[in-house]
Amino acid sequence: MELIILYNVLKQYDDGAVTALNNISLSIEKGSFVSIIGPSGSGKSTLLNMLGALDSPDSGQVIIDGIDLATQKDLSDFRRHEIGFVFQLHNLLPNLTVQENVEIPLMDANMSEKDKHRRALLFIEAVGLLDKKKQKPNKLSGGERQRVAIARALVNFPSIILADEPTGALDTRTGAKVLDVLRFVHESIDATLIIVTHDRDVARLADRTIEIRDGQVINDYYNR
Amino acid sequence: MKNPFRNKTRSALSIIGIAIGIATIVALGLITAGMEDSVQTTFNEGGAEITVTNATNIGGASGLLNASFIDELKNVTNVSDAVGQLSVSESNQSFMQSRSPVMGTTVYGINASKLNLAGISNVDGDVYEEDSFEVIIGSRYADLNNFSIGDNLSFLGHDFEVVGIYETGNMMLDNGVYTSLSKLQNISDTDEVSSILVKTSEGVNDSIVSQNIKDKYENVSTLTSEEMSSMLDEVIGILDAASLAISGLAIIVGAIGVINTMVMTVYERTKEIGVLKSIGWKSRKILTMILGETLVLTTLSGIIGSVFGILIAEVGVRLIGTDGFSLVYTPKTFILAFGITIIVGIIGGVYPAYKASKLAPTEALRYE
Ligand SMILES: Nc1ncnc2c1ncn2[C@@H]1O[C@H](COP(=O)(O)OP(=O)(O)OP(=O)(O)O)[C@@H](O)[C@H]1O
Ligand SMILES: [Mg+2]
Repeated sequence: MELIILYNVLKQYDDGAVTALNNISLSIEKGSFVSIIGPSGSGKSTLLNMLGALDSPDSGQVIIDGIDLATQKDLSDFRRHEIGFVFQLHNLLPNLTVQENVEIPLMDANMSEKDKHRRALLFIEAVGLLDKKKQKPNKLSGGERQRVAIARALVNFPSIILADEPTGALDTRTGAKVLDVLRFVHESIDATLIIVTHDRDVARLADRTIEIRDGQVINDYYNR
Repeated sequence: MKNPFRNKTRSALSIIGIAIGIATIVALGLITAGMEDSVQTTFNEGGAEITVTNATNIGGASGLLNASFIDELKNVTNVSDAVGQLSVSESNQSFMQSRSPVMGTTVYGINASKLNLAGISNVDGDVYEEDSFEVIIGSRYADLNNFSIGDNLSFLGHDFEVVGIYETGNMMLDNGVYTSLSKLQNISDTDEVSSILVKTSEGVNDSIVSQNIKDKYENVSTLTSEEMSSMLDEVIGILDAASLAISGLAIIVGAIGVINTMVMTVYERTKEIGVLKSIGWKSRKILTMILGETLVLTTLSGIIGSVFGILIAEVGVRLIGTDGFSLVYTPKTFILAFGITIIVGIIGGVYPAYKASKLAPTEALRYE
């Protein structure tokens, strides 16, 4: 079943001087694990933003779970319940601790404070940062911040996990561990996992790899 | 849930900025209210309606009037009573020689039975005896100079006993010292008076009587209590305008402080708003948090700023040491200060946040 459908999506910047996505059309199956690769500046992050309902196209359609996002007035509930987004630049809140950052998506989840803490700590432990739970992000290394961002993206058990270079800042071993966490959530709750990477070995782990260049899909294949 | 917009350094900076604004508004508010209050006077019922003085100036000071003139005025149509009053100020030189603790006291001499024409009716204690070294003093004069009944007041080298204290509600009047006309004339070597207080008959038009007096006697000038109050109104009007201008200035200074600190945080906040939106927080929830943070900040700043404003004004007034001037605390000053800050805080803090919340999350995230 197609969960996400992009149809002729165009996204330009600087009054058309930069075309980040050039009439891309693609569809992604529910519960699949997809990797997106391509050179720097090819439009990977822009594409991921579209898939995660964080940005809207200049033209074309983004349809998620049968809903055309352009028709939705307020996407906040959708983002909170369905999407777990790991930014390339982490985007943690500087005033909050690691644990508080991870708890943000649980804000109005129907659970007690204690359960929220327990859930957050579960994911903080999974990314190996239990000893840093009271730290502020500015005290963490780049890789540690990336891992907090991953814990935050997963804490809600989202149905779509989008990760922009989740292992880019990590050494091979930590990277593998983080990928394991992502794949665990993907497999255990049948979440759709989409990751952007420039590492072909990481890309190969996915069921399917989409290669883009200059805002267009130049290659799309299954790894098995 | 902790407010994600709470940041210690940022808050401290904002509080300082806003508090400076509030302190300015409060300090100037207290001072201008004090200024207005010191001019505001109420006119006493029962006092004389017309004051007659000599129109010819002798060496800068207006001249005296012959006492026989009092009886002439009594015969003018519609004049029911008239009484002479002499005012003598202690010069600085005689002040230096005297042991008086008070500088520049002016003593008025008036017949004790006619004090009501001067507007004085309620005297605590006794009224001075005719031709005695006794005085009555206004309540404000007593307060300011720490006099009470039985004390001695030194004037022109003579000791006067304070036998009574009166209160009229008129600030100028309550700052006065009265003794018998004959005694004051005696010690200042004159048999003339400096002004004549004229009471008109019931129900007549004071300004017509006043005009009649001026027409009849060429070298006198008259002032009706109505004219006096309209003159005072004019002064109050000028003070009002001045205090409005000063408050306006304070508000602008305060507002700039508030907006400045708020705008400082807009970029940081825009990014934080982007993060929260991308995670799925509703704009309303984000704005509520920012509004809450703004209210906490402005209230805290309001309290700190008010305390500093009061300190500045109190210390300032003491340093300048203006006699008889005191700050006036009205709720208006503080309501104004808090109101302005909250409005400005909302414009400077919440409005930019509202705009940021309308951006697509990715756009908001680009702010660094
Ligand atoms: N907000 C923006 N304003 C202007 N240009 C932008 C903006 N966002 C992206 N671009 C441009 O769009 C193109 C695609 O950007 P994108 O971030 O999607 O690339 P990417 O494939 O993720 O690159 P990288 O691997 O370096 O992260 C780039 O040329 C980039 O400069
Ligand atoms: Mg990118």
